[in-house]
Amino acid sequence: MFHALVAIKQVPDTTNIRIDPETGNLVREGVPAIMNPYDAHALAEAVHWKRKLGGKVTVVSMGPPSFIVTIREAIELGADRGILISDRKFAGADTLATSYVLAAVIAEVHAEDPLDLIFFGKQAIDGDTAQVGPGVAVRLDMPIVTYAVKVRDIDLQGRTVVVERKTERWTEVVETPLPTLLTCEKEIAEIPFAPLPDLIRSLRYDPEIWSREEPIEFDSGQIGVRGSPTIVYKMGTPPLPEAGEKVNARELGVGTAVSHALDLAQRSGILSAVLGGE
Amino acid sequence: MAIRRFWVFIEQEAGKVHPVSWELLGVARMLANQVLPEAEAAGDQVTVEGVLLGYQVEPIAKEALCYGADRVYLLDDPVFEHYRNCPYYQTLAYVARKHEPEVFLMGATTLGRDLAGAVATALGTGLTADCTQLAMGEVKGAKQRLLLATRPAFGGNIMATILCRQHRPQMSSVRPRVFPMPERISEPTGEILKEEVLVTEEGAKACILEFVHAKGESVNIEYADVIVAGGRGLGSPEGFKLLEELATELGGVVGVSRPLVDAGWISYAHQVGQSGRTVRPKLYIAAGISGALQHKVGMQNSDFIIAINNDPDAPIFDVADVGIVGDLYQVIPEMLKQIRALKETAA
Amino acid sequence: MNQHERIEFDVVVVGAGLAGSAAAMVMAREGLNVALVERGQKPGGKNYFGGAIYTHAIEEVLPDFMERNPPFERPVTEAGFWFLSQDGLMRATVQGGNLDRSPADAYTTLRASFDLWWAEQAQKEGAFLIPKTTVVDFIREADGQVIGVVTDRPQGEIYAPVVIICEGVNNLLAQKLGLIDRDLEPAHLALAFKQVISLSSETINTRFGLPDSEHGLAVSVLGDVSLGLPGMGFVYTNKTTLSVGLGVMLDTLAEYKLKPYEVLQRYLAHPAIAPLVAGGQLLEYGGHLIPEGGYRDMPRLFTGGAMVAGDAAAMVNALHWEGTNMAIIAGKRAAETALEAHSRGDFSERVMSRYEDRLKDGFILQDLKQYRNFARFLETHPEFMGTYPVFLNDALGNFFSAYGKPKRRLFREILGALTNRRSLPQAAGDIISMGRAVMGW
Ligand SMILES: Cc1cc2nc3c(=O)[nH]c(=O)nc-3n(C[C@H](O)[C@H](O)[C@H](O)COP(=O)(O)OP(=O)(O)OC[C@H]3O[C@@H](n4cnc5c(N)ncnc54)[C@H](O)[C@@H]3O)c2cc1C
Ligand SMILES: Cc1cc2nc3c(=O)[nH]c(=O)nc-3n(C[C@H](O)[C@H](O)[C@H](O)COP(=O)(O)OP(=O)(O)OC[C@H]3O[C@@H](n4cnc5c(N)ncnc54)[C@H](O)[C@@H]3O)c2cc1C
Ligand SMILES: Nc1ncnc2c1ncn2[C@@H]1O[C@H](COP(=O)(O)O)[C@@H](O)[C@H]1O
Repeated sequence: MFHALVAIKQVPDTTNIRIDPETGNLVREGVPAIMNPYDAHALAEAVHWKRKLGGKVTVVSMGPPSFIVTIREAIELGADRGILISDRKFAGADTLATSYVLAAVIAEVHAEDPLDLIFFGKQAIDGDTAQVGPGVAVRLDMPIVTYAVKVRDIDLQGRTVVVERKTERWTEVVETPLPTLLTCEKEIAEIPFAPLPDLIRSLRYDPEIWSREEPIEFDSGQIGVRGSPTIVYKMGTPPLPEAGEKVNARELGVGTAVSHALDLAQRSGILSAVLGGE
Repeated sequence: MAIRRFWVFIEQEAGKVHPVSWELLGVARMLANQVLPEAEAAGDQVTVEGVLLGYQVEPIAKEALCYGADRVYLLDDPVFEHYRNCPYYQTLAYVARKHEPEVFLMGATTLGRDLAGAVATALGTGLTADCTQLAMGEVKGAKQRLLLATRPAFGGNIMATILCRQHRPQMSSVRPRVFPMPERISEPTGEILKEEVLVTEEGAKACILEFVHAKGESVNIEYADVIVAGGRGLGSPEGFKLLEELATELGGVVGVSRPLVDAGWISYAHQVGQSGRTVRPKLYIAAGISGALQHKVGMQNSDFIIAINNDPDAPIFDVADVGIVGDLYQVIPEMLKQIRALKETAA
Repeated sequence: MNQHERIEFDVVVVGAGLAGSAAAMVMAREGLNVALVERGQKPGGKNYFGGAIYTHAIEEVLPDFMERNPPFERPVTEAGFWFLSQDGLMRATVQGGNLDRSPADAYTTLRASFDLWWAEQAQKEGAFLIPKTTVVDFIREADGQVIGVVTDRPQGEIYAPVVIICEGVNNLLAQKLGLIDRDLEPAHLALAFKQVISLSSETINTRFGLPDSEHGLAVSVLGDVSLGLPGMGFVYTNKTTLSVGLGVMLDTLAEYKLKPYEVLQRYLAHPAIAPLVAGGQLLEYGGHLIPEGGYRDMPRLFTGGAMVAGDAAAMVNALHWEGTNMAIIAGKRAAETALEAHSRGDFSERVMSRYEDRLKDGFILQDLKQYRNFARFLETHPEFMGTYPVFLNDALGNFFSAYGKPKRRLFREILGALTNRRSLPQAAGDIISMGRAVMGW
């Protein structure tokens, strides 16, 4: 039997974020919360292999109770069990503290019911850090394959997995022993339209809620703000650079406008550097 | 007397160094200089140091000295021939524990980002990813200057400055091309120190079976000298031909804003911006691009920017050295004509 | 997942809009196992109306609604018509009296929050909401009896002996059942589009002469609203937003090749409207169809195992902007019929026909029947949307200007302004046909 775990995070849909033009603050109101898209694709791949090999998918998420909807969504997409790690004391965690909590929970799930693969998203789109997956792998002393684009083969008997990962230069085909942690690109799998019985099950599903003490106890020095070495010191809108000259082709005519622009480029030495370089 | 070490991970694959490593040596030097006065006053020493892992890569270590490293720690072993997370992070964590750097910078490349999170966790320290500004600044309550690492957050709409007060090293990953390439010196004075390699093949946990190179041309817009970029204002794939023609004329490559990649007109490798590549060409021509923050952060460090847009209030003009308000379908053909003429008179 | 698992409920309600959630609420309260299927991410997400919602209907389904924190914006304390000429505005609104009750007769609201709340009340009664799922067809027995629905999802069949169709203005499902044999005609469909514009509550109060945020305005705007074409505008005050928009018949838009947005922009730029919205920030823009054909466009309301309610059955009284209340009450009547069917264990067409009997007893079918000629009347008398309102406006403008002319001449001019537009016999005829259309003569 195959057992996979997927770490999922709820994020604000950053493609919908607005900045208040007067205060420069983020307008959070009305920004829809979604499952981190990379996590959703990772989950789809985990479910795909579950259906192929027979087995089970567990999802875990650390966050406030509002994350329950995201866990339900994971059930809709085919997960069997959902765990929400939720406690006020976890608030303010940076990636180091987050990886501590997730690693402890994954170790516990693994002890109950051994895991073969652990799926993470490549990164969460609210922070774009891509740090939690590698952090968890280190804590669990587990092999990791980042930027996974395809799981070629899982050999449950031989205890290996073959994964394709994409780097800037090439695609690597990597073999690692099970259990392995993967961080996934969107190409890993298409998100299917869930069958109605799965949707109905998800709507009735109540995830397990794990607190700071139950069912496992976390070290209070390693969670939340206390367990986070980094702090946000300042937030602001990016400064505007100084604008250059503007020429209007409608007023001057296209020919003049272009020759004026090229002239400026010529004078700053750019054009000859570029054209001369051939 | 203490030594304040500013570390840079020298990234190489298949014996080829990633140029971001040199950019980071430049940054490390800049940061080191910012603490120099307070260090001298306290009688401390400040050094810029590189760490290099690989197999038969000593020439790269020498090259690192030319880009300003005072010292390079070299870990040369067959186990490092191909990059793998486990042996690399364990080794970096080991040398970092031994030498206790104050600041540790890595490139925010696929390799660097795979590695940085693992190293930071192993060292139990903070890491700020994808920084676009770095400085050593005075912070209330801190005895020494701290690394102020600034990065875009929430889809690039906001810049957040992150601190790591207590834990060392203060780690950051930095995108290629955000910082300029430092001058290369031909007579470096720094030294190379060979470090003992403790990891073994058995501990590597992963075996690379194969490298598959993508078919077709591979673009590398990050290090191109000229980029002719187009956005949604192109309107139709026909506009693309114009872009390509101009790019070819200027010996450059084509870049695009995200919607064109989303629309499937061109591959992701051509996307400029926050979720694409950061570029720093000599000349950047932006045609039919409005200049959303997420696009600007990827190209505003270009040496010279020409923007073409028919909306005089388009924000792209704020970063342009010269803006042409007009229809790109008139402006680009005219530009082609004039550039061809210029080239002829030059010849 | 078990491939053969059969999903069964006592009733399926299609669409968590006003009619659907009302029906679900009534049935779930009586213990039926109700599936409320909604295609949107959440109820209300894509639903639009003016608008104001009437409490008499809500109360009939949910007597203690005021205790359940309904997301109302403002009570409607002033209602009526505004008549626009090219640059003028004549107001004919009432306040006080009937409009001064608490709870008020009507409240302005935004559908995204109202429909969500409304569906939540149905869920509290025990209805099971199935979002993100579209009903595309029916499961039927050989004799045509409906025994369930087919959704767009894999393994998407839901079995139930009764299905209540509350799909809104599209009558696709009614067509699938053969209850009606055609799409609604563009000539009977208004495309209504509106903007939600944010302003501070103080600004709204000052601009509309409202004493505080516990007072609100709901007006229909006639006359020069839609480039001289038949159309009706509206303005509703919410707490810190305005809902401003207009409806134009679909065939008119097509004939004149107008873009809805342009018509709306032009309306918002009208010298009487522009100052009301000035400085506001646009929060949403959206459009929705209104079935204005009324009685003559109604499908057959039932068949064995199925009933149709709300906009899906063209239950809208265009002149009075009544639609929400009809939808809610019709939903309730369908629910009562489903309950009766369940208690008898008989879901045949004969029992379903009791739904129509119930509707005949109330205002819905009576009103719709009375107004049955209204849509055609507007089609043949566009001057009621354009000419007359503009004339009224001019006439009053003249009446209240001193000019220094003999009054007899002034009246003649005013009359002249009318007869320039319509001859006196024409005007008299217009009034008679208007009476016919409204009174159902
Ligand atoms: C998390 C996140 C990450 C993102 N990452 C990136 C990224 O990496 N890169 C990126 O580019 N975007 C990114 N975006 C998207 C970004 O916000 C903008 O939506 C995008 O850059 C807009 O592309 P555009 O300028 O081509 O299109 P538009 O904004 O539609 O601008 C088109 C411009 O063309 C002009 N125009 C039209 N016709 C003509 C003509 N005939 N002649 C001249 N001018 C004309 C118009 O005036 C207009 O200014 C990201 C967004 C988010 C939320
Ligand atoms: C601009 C405008 C102004 C208006 N002003 C007023 C007013 O002031 N007062 C008033 O009383 N009335 C007004 N109306 C009319 C009123 O809004 C409608 O009559 C009323 O909403 C009808 O309710 P309903 O439940 O029939 O349909 P809807 O409220 O449209 O609900 C239908 C629901 O079904 C869902 N659905 C559709 N098809 C499917 C499917 N196949 N499967 C699953 N779900 C489906 C939809 O997503 C929707 O949630 C106005 C209408 C408009 C457009
Ligand atoms: N709070 C969380 N709960 C569960 N998984 C998380 C959480 N934060 C991050 N992850 C996982 O870690 C991945 C990388 O996140 P990040 O390092 O924040 O970019 C995400 O795609 C998730 O799979």
